[in-house]
Amino acid sequence: MEPGESTFACLTFFSFFLVYINLMFGVLSSLPDLSDKSCTFKVTLRNFRVILSWELKNHSIVPDHYTLQYTVISIPDHMKTVEHCSNITATFCDLTDVWEVLSETYAVTVDGFRGNTTLVTCFIDFFLATHISLEPPEFDIVDFTDHINVHVNFPPVMPKILDGKVLQFYLPLIIEEQSGGIVKKHNPTLDENVTGNFTYVIDNLLPNTNYCVSVYFKHRNLEEIHRSPVKCTLLPPAQDTGSSESAKIGGIITMFLIAAVFISTILILKRVGYICLRNDFPKVLNFHNMSSWVFPEMPPLEAVAFVEVIHINRKKKVWNYSYDDESDSNDEAAAPLTNTGGYTKHGLVGGLLGPTSASSATWEDRLEPDTEERDLSEPEADTDPLMALGTNPGGSECTSGAYEGRGKLLQDPFSKEDSSSTEGSGDKIIFNVNLSSVFVSALDDDDSEAPPASPSFPEETYNLEDSHRLETSFLEARGEGTQPPFPTPSAECPWPEVVLSDISDSSESGVDTGDGYIMR
Amino acid sequence: GLLVTGILSLDCNLLHFHLRKVTWQNLRLLSSTSSSFPVECLRETKAFELPQEILSHTQPAKRYIKEAFYEMSIQAFNIFSQYTFTSTWEKDYLKQIQIGLDQQLQYLEQCLEEEEKEKEDSKELEEDGMNWSGALVPQLSNLELRRYFNRIDNFLKEKKYSHCAWEIIRVEIRRCFYYFQKFAALLRKK
Repeated sequence: MEPGESTFACLTFFSFFLVYINLMFGVLSSLPDLSDKSCTFKVTLRNFRVILSWELKNHSIVPDHYTLQYTVISIPDHMKTVEHCSNITATFCDLTDVWEVLSETYAVTVDGFRGNTTLVTCFIDFFLATHISLEPPEFDIVDFTDHINVHVNFPPVMPKILDGKVLQFYLPLIIEEQSGGIVKKHNPTLDENVTGNFTYVIDNLLPNTNYCVSVYFKHRNLEEIHRSPVKCTLLPPAQDTGSSESAKIGGIITMFLIAAVFISTILILKRVGYICLRNDFPKVLNFHNMSSWVFPEMPPLEAVAFVEVIHINRKKKVWNYSYDDESDSNDEAAAPLTNTGGYTKHGLVGGLLGPTSASSATWEDRLEPDTEERDLSEPEADTDPLMALGTNPGGSECTSGAYEGRGKLLQDPFSKEDSSSTEGSGDKIIFNVNLSSVFVSALDDDDSEAPPASPSFPEETYNLEDSHRLETSFLEARGEGTQPPFPTPSAECPWPEVVLSDISDSSESGVDTGDGYIMR
Repeated sequence: GLLVTGILSLDCNLLHFHLRKVTWQNLRLLSSTSSSFPVECLRETKAFELPQEILSHTQPAKRYIKEAFYEMSIQAFNIFSQYTFTSTWEKDYLKQIQIGLDQQLQYLEQCLEEEEKEKEDSKELEEDGMNWSGALVPQLSNLELRRYFNRIDNFLKEKKYSHCAWEIIRVEIRRCFYYFQKFAALLRKK
């Protein structure tokens, strides 16, 4: 090829190129005019539905209802009436189930009526592949720290007009990501049978950053793009796990260092001798026998035995008066003189100390049938009653015998000195008697007369309940020696009458302590 | 952009891109040549029976696709060459369509020649046999395409190249371009 020819060819191509570019811009910039002289039509893919809408150019003409008809140009046929688009008041109609082929050209006729009068007739043809307006689908976004999930809502059943990879080739879905003035487009790959919710993940995002997302179908005509409303979100800040972990590690290391410093300090101080650690702990800090310390041993159970408390009545020292010299030495200690309660008891010894156990038992039984506290160790106590001074005139068996058994009077050894009578010394007993506790009866000359009345105690009211007390005092003296027990009345036995007359038989009546009787 | 592509390089690996691009642009041009299809021409419409079955092969060979494209481009170019322009506006659009088809034809010729050279370099008789057997399909498809465009040409002649006839042909070729554009996507997958 000669240089001239090549230059001409290049110029030719260049000129065609310029014309081509101009035509391309001219063609692509102008939208297909879907209008005739009366109406302006628009076909929209709205939520994956094919919607044909129209608008009358002459607004003065207002039909009350419309009827739509269509035909496929490549298939010779009559105009077909769409039932759900007949006699409608709306200026749009859903033709999703009617127009199913994207490559076909549909000729549409819309008649506007008022009553039965046709006001207007509009006719248009649609080549959907180039004339359909794509509205963006509905979508939601879910933000995360570094990514956003975009959920696009696809219908459960795709319309037939979108079969054959139409979405993939003619209507690709575009997801725009905007942040800081930078727009990034994502072209997710859609399956041929995509239905339901479609999720696309926009990853590699910056935390704590504002992002805006919008979606749209990319039409071949670049000038006709219907973007969805922008949905913006601020991504949450990233969880600083790294710094938290490093902080934890640092804290652990710090604790170890502190512990090491503390321990080393202790060791140094110990080594130096600044502190001395004791090995012998006080007993209270001896936790070897923790169990025993916490749970002290129970003291051994003491043998518990029932003890019968026996009241031991302290015996009063009484003087032992014995008729026999032999008995004096034996009975002096046994019957010391006791002064209790202001009176002195003198124990009667000698013959009176005979078989006292039985008699005493009898006497005691009669006098105190309920005395359980009696000292049984002193059974030998003489229970010579005062009745020994005299007989019971009642002649009762309970007393007479007891009294008779002890009819002899004892001689007070102290009164021996005072005793001036020697004749009747053996028969005389000197008593120091507490007048307040002595029954004194007035003695008459006639002994046969009625027995003396029971003496009364002006200071102390005597009753049967107190018999025990008196008897107790008697019993005390009984253990040490014999003493004439003060006759106490019993439940069975009446109060023995102190027959002072018997005593005073040998003595003159009157206030004379030498006889041992006191007249009151 | 097509001319720039044509001048700078004719990379057969980008053929599918070129075919899709040019075809779509021609399709768009055919939609812009007329404002609306005349309602009165609805009475003269005809079914030209585009052989869609040849375009629905599941796994057609690349050569088959190229040859089909070549046949369609040259036939459409011949049809539009007979167009009697009624206006300057229509003339300009049709010129562009023809330029695009011409460029497409040049692109296809170059790539087909390269395949022929590769085929001749290959010494394997089995591949030749397979290509020979595979070539039957394109021959049939090309024949069907030729018959299709003959029907179109005969229609124009019968209608004496009337306005409605051309409108009807415009619509039909636009429909043809649409199917070939989808067919060109198969070249990308190979």
